[in-house]
Amino acid sequence: MKMRSSPMRGPSSPGVLPQAEKELREAFLTEAARIPGGELLNRCIQCGTCSGSCPVTYAMDYSPRQVIAMFRAGAIEPLLRSRTIWICASCYSCTTRCPADIKITDLLYALKRIAIEKKIFPRRFPVYVLSETFTDMVRRHGRNHETGLLLRFFLKTRPFKLLSMAKDGLALWWHGRMPFKPRKIRGLEGLRRIIAKAETFDRPQEPVEHDNLTDTVGYSAIMEPWGRRAADHENGRRPPRRRLATVL
Amino acid sequence: MSRGNGNGNGAPQNGDARVGVYVCHCGVNISSTVDVEAVRDVCASRPGVVCSRDYKFMCSNAGQDLIKKDILENGVNRVVVAACSPLMHELTFRAAAEEAGLNPYLVQIANIREQCAWVHDDRERATAKASSLASGAAARVALHRPLEAMKADVNPATLIVGAGIAGIQAALEIAEAGHDVYLVEKQSTIGGQMAKFDKTFPTLDCAACILTPKMVSISHRKNIHLMTLSEVESVDGFVGNFKVAVRRKARYVTDACTACGECLKVCPVRVPSPFEELQADRTAIHKEFPQAIPSTFVIEKQGRPPCRQACPVHQDAAGYVSLVAEGRFAEAAKLIRRQNPLPSICGRVCYAACEEACNRQSVDKPVAIRDLKRFVIDWERKHVGEVEPPPPENRHPESVAVIGSGPAGLTCAFDLARKGYTVTVFEKHKKLGGMLAVGLPGYRCPREEVERDLAYIRKTGVEFRSGMELGVDFAMEDLLSDRPGFGFDAVFLGIGAHRGLKMGIEGEDVALEARKRGAFGVITGVDYLRHLNLGLPQETGKKVAIVGGGNTALDAARAARREGAEVTVLYRRTREEMPCEEDEFDDAVAEGVRFEYLVLPIKVLGEDGSVNGLECLKMELGEPDASGRPRPVPITGSEHVKEFDQVIPAISQRPIWRWLKNWSTQAEADPSGHLSFTPWETLKVDPDSMRSGHPKIFGGGDVVLGPSTIVESMGQGRRAAEAIDKQLRALPLEDFHTYVPPRDPREGFEERPHSYAPRYDETPLAPRTPMPKRPPEIRVGDYQPVDLGYSEEQARAEASRCLKCGVCVECYECERVCEPGAVLHEMTDTVKEIEVGQILVSTGYQTFDARKMMQYGYGLYDNVLTSLEFERMVSSTGPTGGKVLCKNGLPPRAVGIVHCVGSRDENHHPYCSRVCCMYALKFAHLVNDRTDADVYQFYIDMRTFGKGYEEFYRHVLEEGTTVIRGKVAEVVPARGSNGGLGEHLLIRCEDTMIGRFREIPVDMVVLCNALEAREDASEVRRTFSLSRSPDGFFMERHPKLDPVGTTTDGVYLAGCCQGPKDIPDTVAQAQAAAARVLGMIAKGQTLIDPVRAEVDAKYCSGCKTCLDLCPYAAISFDGEANVAAVNEALCKGCGTCVAACPASAITGAGFTDAQVLAELEGILAPPPETTTAATEMR
Repeated sequence: MKMRSSPMRGPSSPGVLPQAEKELREAFLTEAARIPGGELLNRCIQCGTCSGSCPVTYAMDYSPRQVIAMFRAGAIEPLLRSRTIWICASCYSCTTRCPADIKITDLLYALKRIAIEKKIFPRRFPVYVLSETFTDMVRRHGRNHETGLLLRFFLKTRPFKLLSMAKDGLALWWHGRMPFKPRKIRGLEGLRRIIAKAETFDRPQEPVEHDNLTDTVGYSAIMEPWGRRAADHENGRRPPRRRLATVL
Repeated sequence: MSRGNGNGNGAPQNGDARVGVYVCHCGVNISSTVDVEAVRDVCASRPGVVCSRDYKFMCSNAGQDLIKKDILENGVNRVVVAACSPLMHELTFRAAAEEAGLNPYLVQIANIREQCAWVHDDRERATAKASSLASGAAARVALHRPLEAMKADVNPATLIVGAGIAGIQAALEIAEAGHDVYLVEKQSTIGGQMAKFDKTFPTLDCAACILTPKMVSISHRKNIHLMTLSEVESVDGFVGNFKVAVRRKARYVTDACTACGECLKVCPVRVPSPFEELQADRTAIHKEFPQAIPSTFVIEKQGRPPCRQACPVHQDAAGYVSLVAEGRFAEAAKLIRRQNPLPSICGRVCYAACEEACNRQSVDKPVAIRDLKRFVIDWERKHVGEVEPPPPENRHPESVAVIGSGPAGLTCAFDLARKGYTVTVFEKHKKLGGMLAVGLPGYRCPREEVERDLAYIRKTGVEFRSGMELGVDFAMEDLLSDRPGFGFDAVFLGIGAHRGLKMGIEGEDVALEARKRGAFGVITGVDYLRHLNLGLPQETGKKVAIVGGGNTALDAARAARREGAEVTVLYRRTREEMPCEEDEFDDAVAEGVRFEYLVLPIKVLGEDGSVNGLECLKMELGEPDASGRPRPVPITGSEHVKEFDQVIPAISQRPIWRWLKNWSTQAEADPSGHLSFTPWETLKVDPDSMRSGHPKIFGGGDVVLGPSTIVESMGQGRRAAEAIDKQLRALPLEDFHTYVPPRDPREGFEERPHSYAPRYDETPLAPRTPMPKRPPEIRVGDYQPVDLGYSEEQARAEASRCLKCGVCVECYECERVCEPGAVLHEMTDTVKEIEVGQILVSTGYQTFDARKMMQYGYGLYDNVLTSLEFERMVSSTGPTGGKVLCKNGLPPRAVGIVHCVGSRDENHHPYCSRVCCMYALKFAHLVNDRTDADVYQFYIDMRTFGKGYEEFYRHVLEEGTTVIRGKVAEVVPARGSNGGLGEHLLIRCEDTMIGRFREIPVDMVVLCNALEAREDASEVRRTFSLSRSPDGFFMERHPKLDPVGTTTDGVYLAGCCQGPKDIPDTVAQAQAAAARVLGMIAKGQTLIDPVRAEVDAKYCSGCKTCLDLCPYAAISFDGEANVAAVNEALCKGCGTCVAACPASAITGAGFTDAQVLAELEGILAPPPETTTAATEMR
């Protein structure tokens, strides 16, 4: 299942990347900047420790080291179309051993996110389809529905495989292991709200209103045990609730 | 030395200050970020500034000429240069000013390069900051007063710390010029790491061949004072005049050593050699390698073995155990007799404090030290026969009386006889031995063993008078009188504690009284044992109760068992709290003695001496009492009766003081002649000298300790003997050499027995050899010994479990065979004070611990080696004699060499260790040269930067070495299939050149581990006031322009302590350092910056706050004037005292309050509105 990647394109003239690459590069750097230590990308000495440590490198079309080299070469699109970013098993061996302290696994995640956002990825590649189908199931029912998952997964990737697996499937259905009807959880709305909230955390945070900061930062914030606000406490008034994010 | 005085120099007053400001562009270094013209103009507007200029390079001659010209022609008398760091060019501009006739301390530098241009990118704000700094300098310099630098003579001697190749080279250079060098080295030999190498890159010279001639000439130079096994403890003073304290650690071998090597043959210790990277063993007395300088041997002692530390008579336990392991039993016996007058007895019945302290218990069970002693002494009897004690060295006319022939008395008598005194021992019984004779049952120690030890003591000339009881046959005053046969100069009272305590319960006294009429109902344990041992009439009941849980109780119980009784031991606490020994208890149980716990007898039942039972209470354990043991608490209403026909209380013992009635009247007549006693009726003595209230009477053993153990009593006898000797030799009773065990004999051995040994949990287990015993059913029928003793094989196996704590086991074999008598085990550390003018620090490096990179398997797999291990392996004097061999003895089929282990790695050391690529290539060549193996190099970047290095790389490539660009990910063990021959290792990496993951099978992996700063670098840094760069190495004064100097004047660096470097660079740096040292010596004098603290006596209140604070001890106190005074030669101008002085009486020249405040005001002054005025002026 070898992917055909687009021809690798570097700068077209001195200092000029093709427009598409330039956009992808910016998007990737924005993503990378959100990873603690993501800016260390330029430190890579191309030693290959990551690739040598990776247990699934045999299934990748570009080794982790080559991912960084290709980014430097100005060829992100072929990376986004590659299998490598989907093959990564998140074992973090590369990250723990990297002598330049680069968060390689996290960078691969960043590439995955851009690939999804920009819709540049091997569309029928099973890893993406499986995770996409799974999250959709959870969103819809609040839990996984194996029958639906399998049907959709195979229809999208290898429809003819379904025929050969029909017998096993029927046997499972006979024993009540593969119900046709999905079962929803109670409080599905609540779960959906949790997911929606969680998704906002993945975006850059809104800057905090400055007015709120006066008594939550600086000396007034740390004076609590003996300061004015301790007195408030004694008078039975509840001290104003502080927003954790602003204190930190 | 003189110092400037502002007023006396005709210098202008503040109002007359005419400041010239010179702003440097530094090419574009400054001007690219800072608008130098604007800075110039701002400064021009400041008060007192008469001219302000800018120039491309102020440090150039043309730039300096600007300053000179203004001084000479425009009357400028204060100079501000806004340029680079004062570390760079302050001297340049001061010199320029001086040439133009201005005092150099009227020049001030404003650093606008390192502080502004290089650290900012906002041009506007950088310019504003530069203007402020320059303005501040202009305001401050107006208040400067001329100062004179002080001059100090330079001591031409030099201290070099660390005698690796850097230290050796520098020492030779300086000595060649005719000056004294003190070369201090921590190890026992000079040569450092280079001495471990086989070949050196790129020329493949043999390291030894080029190093040892230099080492030899170090030892031949008269003006090189070599101090090995030494460390610098402290450094005082300043450039040209340092005072250095050097701790010279004990070598235990004097210079008389001829390096004949006889001692190596007899040393029973084998420990891994750190010089061979622990790949080969060496003895405790050793020389690191054949060409070591000095060639004097050295004994490695890492503290004293805890077994020896714990023993009250300081028996050399580890020594004889090690000798037994080697099968040298005769030597072991001699060693035992060196310290122990009663070896046969101690080999059987000692409580073995040594085994309690034995570190082997951290692995499994302690070594059976006591049983080994018994084996040795038994062997001696069979194979050597009678032993003669060595004759005393001196003879003394004084004579000493020893009262009591127990262990304390015998030891005291033995020691005094060996010291040359006439000793007479008085014993009450016909049988000699004290408690050994009357208290020790024969099944534990047969009488002939006691006789054997007594015979040995008798041969030292001790006279025994048995059957002489104190207070009956003679009186104390007789001993000290002139009566014929008496007339002693000192008396040792060792009468023991032979009076058994009663239980003090109802019915007991009646029964005891009845005993005089022949009844046997109640008898104390000591009396019972004495009767049995002396063959006096003693009946034993059928059902016997023993009360108590100590050793006497168990002895009585087992003896009664042998008399055919049914024996029950009653103890008021539980087994946990019983003070008897483990072995004893087990033997007693095996022999059918019953134990009942938490039982307290309260009444003896019976009439007229015959006993028919004991009324007892049940107990429970309560709160811990003063001794730390839980207090037994009676349970009310738990009274019950047990049937017995004999009760033997063995609770405690007290000394017998009957004789004292005749003596005390006499004693009271002499005011100093009191004997005083403790609440336990024991004799009160001085704990150090064992002397009682009477100046001629000493005491020891049970009479002082209360009922205790044989070896503790022996220890007291020994100390008393030393005290008596001191007293008779009219020496003060202090500084005793005899031994008192420390509280924690295992201190310092918490993790491993010595620093080269594996940790306790990594030491292979070896079970303790059980002592063969006669079967209980047979042994209860007689008094023959229970323990049978080890066979030779058993003894050697047991002895080989010893861990050699502290390396040297102090068997004194080396001392015995050393013909020139060079071995001196009593040597101690000394501290030598030396005075030098300059110091070169060349303390070298250590290698990175490859265990920290677990993925490479170092320490897990046999054939993963570090670079130094491989260096030793290929060395002809190394563990394999230069052959490249795997642990299984076969040559490797393929070798992988892994670069950058710990270097170029953010997780460990980010820097490049610089030498690894080259030595890795050297290793590849050596493997190619000596084996048929394939060689793989795994590198990230091949750095072959030196002269001839690239050619060497090409040569190694031509030899067929495979180079793979890629850092190794991991090394894993593999078996079989690849080639089918046994186990091997797999190296996993990405071959980045082809972008493929590869697994390379090899037999051996060599890790090129990083060079890193030494573990003790921070102490060295403190000692010599150095700085360390972030990588941990010592910081040079300037990375390019002064790689030899440090921020401390007169202290220089050379070699790898400054950063990783190869031998050519190290030698070059050493020679450069030597040139700097020689330059200073040639100049003969050094200028000392006149930035000094000064005390204004007018304001000093004499509070002495500054005295303790001064880090250079430069402040003294003038007691008459009641003021502090600063010694200008010692003061470094650090300002600590200035800040601390509560009266503000101390000021720092060049840093007066006025100057500092003026500078602040200058910096904070608002920028001028316009710059027109300044421009016009220009």
